[in-house]
Amino acid sequence: MVTESPQKPGRGKAVSWLRDNRVVRSIFRRGYPDNDLDRAAVMFSNFFLHVLPARTHVHSLKPTYTWGLGVISLFLFIILLGTGSLLMFFYVPSTGRAYSDMKDLQFVVSYGVVLRNLHRWAAHAMVAVVFLHMCRVFYTASYKAPREFNWVIGVLLWGATLMMSFTGYLLPWDQLAYWAITVGSSIASYPPLVGEYIRTLMLGGDTVGQNALIRFYVMHVIVLPGIMMILMGVHFWRIRKDGGLSRPPAPPSDAARGEAAAFSPHKTYMLVELAEGKTPMVDAQAPEEEVMSWPHTVFRMLVVFVGVVAVLSAVAYFFDAPLEELANPDHPPNPAKAPWYFLGLQEIVSYSALAGGVIVPAAAIIGLMTIPYVDRDPEGQGTWFTSGQGRRITLWSVVAVIPVVLVLTWLNEHYAVRILVPGASQIWVDLLNPGTILIILFAAGSLYIWRRTGSSRMGALALYSYFLTSYLIYTLIGLYFRGANWAWIWPWQATGLH
Amino acid sequence: MTASMDEQTPRRRMLLGLGWISFLISLLGPVLANVRFLFPNVVYEGESVLKLDSLEKYTVGSITFFADKKIVLFREKDGFRACTAVCPHLRCVISPFVGAPGASPDILRARCPCHGSTFDGRGQVLGGPAPRGLDFFLVTKSPDGRVVVDTRKVVAPSEHFKL
Ligand code: HEM
Ligand code: FES
Repeated sequence: MVTESPQKPGRGKAVSWLRDNRVVRSIFRRGYPDNDLDRAAVMFSNFFLHVLPARTHVHSLKPTYTWGLGVISLFLFIILLGTGSLLMFFYVPSTGRAYSDMKDLQFVVSYGVVLRNLHRWAAHAMVAVVFLHMCRVFYTASYKAPREFNWVIGVLLWGATLMMSFTGYLLPWDQLAYWAITVGSSIASYPPLVGEYIRTLMLGGDTVGQNALIRFYVMHVIVLPGIMMILMGVHFWRIRKDGGLSRPPAPPSDAARGEAAAFSPHKTYMLVELAEGKTPMVDAQAPEEEVMSWPHTVFRMLVVFVGVVAVLSAVAYFFDAPLEELANPDHPPNPAKAPWYFLGLQEIVSYSALAGGVIVPAAAIIGLMTIPYVDRDPEGQGTWFTSGQGRRITLWSVVAVIPVVLVLTWLNEHYAVRILVPGASQIWVDLLNPGTILIILFAAGSLYIWRRTGSSRMGALALYSYFLTSYLIYTLIGLYFRGANWAWIWPWQATGLH
Repeated sequence: MTASMDEQTPRRRMLLGLGWISFLISLLGPVLANVRFLFPNVVYEGESVLKLDSLEKYTVGSITFFADKKIVLFREKDGFRACTAVCPHLRCVISPFVGAPGASPDILRARCPCHGSTFDGRGQVLGGPAPRGLDFFLVTKSPDGRVVVDTRKVVAPSEHFKL
């Protein structure tokens, strides 16, 4: 099989020698892949490339289809592993040392501040990018059969990403960390029966102290990264087994229309492709819709990687990760705010801890996980928003939620249960608050659309858009409209504490 | 295994079933042990019986806020009362009570900085998300004449330690 790559005119001898000599061959087994045979072979023989297929469907490479978001999530994760491992050389998870180690990283260790910034901004970016990736998968209906379970794995990855951020948040042991975790772990104590146990398990005691710090540290550096690596491995493996990325169904090929078999005469099949039902490439797929993964996919990914590193480096150079005063268990900062991606939840928690800490997250997780099993008909797979109707429903769902959320927020400011009836029982507070009311409205709205259109996909589009929009609004409220004692303020009145 | 399920003798099937069940039960032990392992038996988190200053230090009508001990001590004409300074919503430390010295507990107000719960001098929730009021603790006196607050013993908000 070994073919001598022909010497191309005009290329220096040195370059060809560098690309192809005994040592290179001992590592890569072949010369530089400059013919289609080697380009296919490199994808099989290289451990790191064999995640990718030898050929990629052109639709999967469209930037406007994936926006590269899954790949960017992966690169951010890798960057976090690298920077995090380096930070570990200087950080000791002890309540007496953690904060001063942070200060040392900031002011004493060479490039410590850059590494810390990179780690922090990559973590924020990952939360955002994984979330956007989930939105892309949702709005292109890529969760449908046979990808239902990969969507569920995705939801677990999303949860793990949030837990990574949450556990990392405590490690600097500053005011922000201490009180965000005090509040966050107390939210965990609200589920009936098991709540207090969960909290004790998280903190290793009853207060945020040394036990909590070491637990969060172990979760952050070993347990959660390990879980995520396994989940990502399964995630990627399943993408391959599901025949690559979703795409709109191919127009029936000549073979499918006419002759009996759906086999393409243009292709060679391997045994694995014939063994199971509808495995990857057996879909009537014309060879001209595929390109060689080397270079088309591999180098696109490389460009994305360089882009991610470039943007992150620029941000890390110009913006320092925040570090507040040393944790003071006696006085919470006022206002005490969670990290931005939990602020929407904190806003709902400020109406009722049961609604914000248990009902809304449980509804969101159960809703997300069951979407592919409820919305089953294959309609619209691989097309953004499914159809013109889907586009309209998405748009109107977003538009309709805005006034509803704003009115409920206003009502809550002026006519909340405990304003009308001071000292009212907690049951009423848990039942009649914007969080619980919205869940009921959302369920009713999406069921109505499902019935009106007769399409579960349209109902799902509405439901997802409702949740997305309302969460964004609550995040903005938490960020810019909440001041001391969580009272309503206008952004220009902010004291600059956050 | 070569024989399919229906070709097996009932005896063989039963043994196989027993094997599976014992295997699953044998897993249960280690799993529970590992979960139990994660729950601490001893925690070193400071005292639950708090010794304050001598009785006379607190003048009638004063409200003393102990941020470090996370309690509030009320000296009223009927005696002493003490409540927690930890908000029952999500455990932030509330801000000190405000009100004229000697004001009735109904007029006193304390707010939580985290989500704005409001409490009166009886610990009752007036507003905000707190699911219940502030706990009041048993107040006693030590042999050397100092105020002692036992945070393990919750009492009615109206109960005073009389002199
Ligand atoms: C750590 C987080 C994650 C990583 C690193 C990751 C990575 C990837 C990558 C590299 C792809 C290939 C296509 C693309 O770039 O869009 C992909 C596809 C996919 N992801 Fe993720 N993902 C993550 C989280 C999620 C989440 C949160 C969901 C949904 C709940 C999800 C569901 C899916 C599905 C269903 C596909 C197949 C899409 C298709 O066939 O079009 N993933 N993921
Ligand atoms: S912690 Fe006090 S109101 Fe939330």
